[in-house]
Amino acid sequence: MRVPLEWLKELVDFSISTDDLILKLTMVGLEVEGVERMEDDTVLEVNVTPNRPDCLSILGIAREVSALLNIPLKFPECEIREEGGPSLVDVEIADEDLCHRYAGRDIRGVTIGDSPEWLKKRIAKCGMRPINNVVDITNYVLLEMGHPLHAFDMDTLRGSRIRVARSRGGTITTLDGTERALPENSLLIWDGERPVAVAGVMGGAETEVKEATKSIFLESAYFLPSSIRRTSKALGLKTESAYRFERGTDIELLEKALDRAASLMAVHAGGKLSKKVDVYPRPFQPSRIKVRYERVNRILGASIPDDEMTDIVQRLGMKAEKGPKEFVATPPSFRGDIQKEIDLIEEIARFHGFDRIPVTVPKIPISKEAKDTRYHLMARVKESFRSAGFTEAINYSFMNPRMLDTLNIEENDSRRRTLILRNPINEEESCLRTTLAPSLIQNLLYNVSRGSRDVRLFEVSRIFIDEGALLPEEKHHLGAIYFREKTPSLWKEEAPDFYIVKGAVQSLLDDLRSGDYLFQPSSEPFLHPGKSGDIIVSGKKIGFLGTLHPYIIEKLSLKVSQQDILVVEMNLDALLASVSGGVKYTPIPRYPFIDRDIALVVDESLPATGVMEHLRAYPTELIEDISLFDFYKGKNIPEGKKSLAFTIRYRAEDRTLTDSEIEELHGKLTAYITAKTGGMVRGT
Amino acid sequence: MADINDIKTAFLQELASAGTAADLQQLKVKYLGKKGILTAKLKLLPTIPAEERPVYGKLMNELKMFIEGEIEGKESEIRDAERRSKIASEAIDITLPGKYTKPGKMHPISTVLKEIIDIFVSMGFDTEVGPEVELDYYNFEALNIPKDHPARDMQDTFYISDDVILRTHTSPVQVRTMERKKPPLRFIAPGKVYRCDADVSHTPMFHQVEGVVVDADISFSDLKGVLEIFVHLMFSKDTPVRFRPSFFPFTEPSAEVDIGCILCGGAGCRVCKGTGWLEVLGAGMVNPRVFEMVGYDPERYTGFAFGMGVERITMLKYSIDDIRMYYENDIRFLRQF
Repeated sequence: MRVPLEWLKELVDFSISTDDLILKLTMVGLEVEGVERMEDDTVLEVNVTPNRPDCLSILGIAREVSALLNIPLKFPECEIREEGGPSLVDVEIADEDLCHRYAGRDIRGVTIGDSPEWLKKRIAKCGMRPINNVVDITNYVLLEMGHPLHAFDMDTLRGSRIRVARSRGGTITTLDGTERALPENSLLIWDGERPVAVAGVMGGAETEVKEATKSIFLESAYFLPSSIRRTSKALGLKTESAYRFERGTDIELLEKALDRAASLMAVHAGGKLSKKVDVYPRPFQPSRIKVRYERVNRILGASIPDDEMTDIVQRLGMKAEKGPKEFVATPPSFRGDIQKEIDLIEEIARFHGFDRIPVTVPKIPISKEAKDTRYHLMARVKESFRSAGFTEAINYSFMNPRMLDTLNIEENDSRRRTLILRNPINEEESCLRTTLAPSLIQNLLYNVSRGSRDVRLFEVSRIFIDEGALLPEEKHHLGAIYFREKTPSLWKEEAPDFYIVKGAVQSLLDDLRSGDYLFQPSSEPFLHPGKSGDIIVSGKKIGFLGTLHPYIIEKLSLKVSQQDILVVEMNLDALLASVSGGVKYTPIPRYPFIDRDIALVVDESLPATGVMEHLRAYPTELIEDISLFDFYKGKNIPEGKKSLAFTIRYRAEDRTLTDSEIEELHGKLTAYITAKTGGMVRGT
Repeated sequence: MADINDIKTAFLQELASAGTAADLQQLKVKYLGKKGILTAKLKLLPTIPAEERPVYGKLMNELKMFIEGEIEGKESEIRDAERRSKIASEAIDITLPGKYTKPGKMHPISTVLKEIIDIFVSMGFDTEVGPEVELDYYNFEALNIPKDHPARDMQDTFYISDDVILRTHTSPVQVRTMERKKPPLRFIAPGKVYRCDADVSHTPMFHQVEGVVVDADISFSDLKGVLEIFVHLMFSKDTPVRFRPSFFPFTEPSAEVDIGCILCGGAGCRVCKGTGWLEVLGAGMVNPRVFEMVGYDPERYTGFAFGMGVERITMLKYSIDDIRMYYENDIRFLRQF
């Protein structure tokens, strides 16, 4: 709401400085968002919250200033000379549930022309373009008093009738020249034959006031806010008029606005005013609201005296009947927002001043709630990936559904069960993510195209799967992408990329004390079939890691194919569910261990975990730990074979093992494992 | 007797020129060995006149002990020197960098979100969560924002269907939590929220932290106290805080909370648009209508709620001037934090 101070001063003659006024208005809830200083005036840009339509006018702001500074309000009075006899237009409200009052009068013999300069200037300062004297005056009164008016060319109203009734379909061409389909149940103004205006939203072109107009019918009505809002939304038509009607207008003031406009028209456009038509089937019923003094101070934590409360309420234009424990307030017709005790408590707080309310801390018992362990686990997940060299990304929760095609995700895959936005920002962000991988791949493309050759990112976010219920399944996922061009490094001995990423995953699983985990060959359609694995925790697949399939890299036209790109994704809800809570202490062994190594030559295709599982399955209680310490292919090892070397740690709980005992056991184990794997001991 | 002195003199000369453990060994053999000089002399003892024999024998013994002592002393001297030179030769260039995996960085939003959560948790708040895809009922209606209410214009909404939307704020978690639990309540609800809005100063997704305190006697003055503590812990203890009236359908009275501009110290700058104040929080007393919706007795319970945008606080904290940077995930941006 733009407020020229020169106009404001006409209604309330304040003497405080502009800066002071700005601060006072802001601190009473009318935030001044901008100040435009002009040669001869200053215009304030006031942010009026949706609950205060009464402040969408110079008069409304003036009322607040008057209450604030306790100085009188000068209501814009006018003189009406009804020389034209009764109105020639019959008014009927057919749907009074949507129109509680309809008033009007005709002005015959007008001359359409320019408005006077002062008027043009004022409406221009408020951001409106001058059109002609009649239209400008309706706009002027709208700005001044906050009540929207509409002027019809009376000679175009067929049957000299106005009928306020719901739409029955059909179309209307509105003032802006657009033909619009009329939504069902929207409220219309009809003449004797057809709709001539969309009530409260916009007039029709056929009854528009034009240069040749001789007589006008001026409308001032009250329309039900929700009805106007529905219509305005359905038509996609936002007007100054609809903006005010949908927030609520002053049903009592509409008559004064009609008079104010009519008298201005008589002066500036000529013509004779008829008597008023005023159909008012649902008169304003003032409400009486009880306010308990004690309740006010209890809610605010203040000790405002009773008299100050009633004084504030009275300054705001309400009646206040004082009792010993409470007072009864009667809000005026322009304060439709005041309906309950709490609304008045807010008014008292506003005018008492938020800054004068004490500062205390709540007296509330300590919490008996268990702290949310999930939040801490999530934080540990993030921390684990961060320390493994990954930087956190946060992407929008949206996805381009076509990415699922790019990634070869099958039709029956749960990641295809997307939620589609009705009103997306664009096609690329038109559904909710069912997987984090596409965003991270996009992040990679973005960074590589900007010259980065080291992109290691992770993200922890929710994904959304439509399982047919009203709301989707929301699951927390961890996603990561790894791409790093090898650069000469000072200290050599770096593992292949796959194992670096796998290491990050293992470190996370170990750190969380998740259930038993293992990695199995993965069949994710976008991963390299020979360089990918599913992550299995406690027997269930919770995610995958692997190298992006060369075919996908080609499809993405990623120009970095020399280097593997690794992708990880895990369902954290499933992972965290496997995390065991407690740790139980085991006594420190009292007897020494003996280590023995086995180096096996086995088929290259045999997975290391397979060998490990066989070793673990060997029936003895004396093996404490088995670790793989060497993997070798090449010279001295036959083609198609590989060498795996393990250290076996032997220990007994109750005695010191003897060399001969271990020689025998290790010999048996060696024979067992060579038989199980079809391998042989290296070097024999 | 003169020969004893001659032996001593010769030994001392040879000892002085011995530089290695091997030289010493030779010296030891030469003087003390089976065929050594001293052994040879002692073999001659019977030829010495009987009355001189005790004295001569004593002197010879002293000489033997002297030589042994000297050789031992020299030996440890040489060992020390050798050890010193070995240690000296082992020195490395300690200025070469260590080997480690350079840790990544947390997203600045995450870092600030964690800071906010930690402050409230330290004040005894619990944390609550709710769905990001939400029912219109929880996002609007239960918060006193009926359909066809202009307050809906304050928040442009992403729709999945007529009744299902992306939550536009974290406030629905208030309702869900109050439906589930009875007072006293004191919790925060951090999370992502969505608005159908994308331009220089808006992203379609952002983060909020909601906070709620409900009990028998919670007042607006308590709200002031809690948020003042928060601002002082989050920014600095001399940051001014001001509360001014505003409107949210689910709180009444409602307030916007401004802090003194941390960039210009209140003098007025581009970021605070010359006002000296920055809006960082929305807050208010829980509207009795909301209590009625969740089945709390508004006569018995009162409470306050507040909400803040994490992006805005992060911008202030790191002087980030373009909100869109947060979600481009440019490594050069992310690595700075």
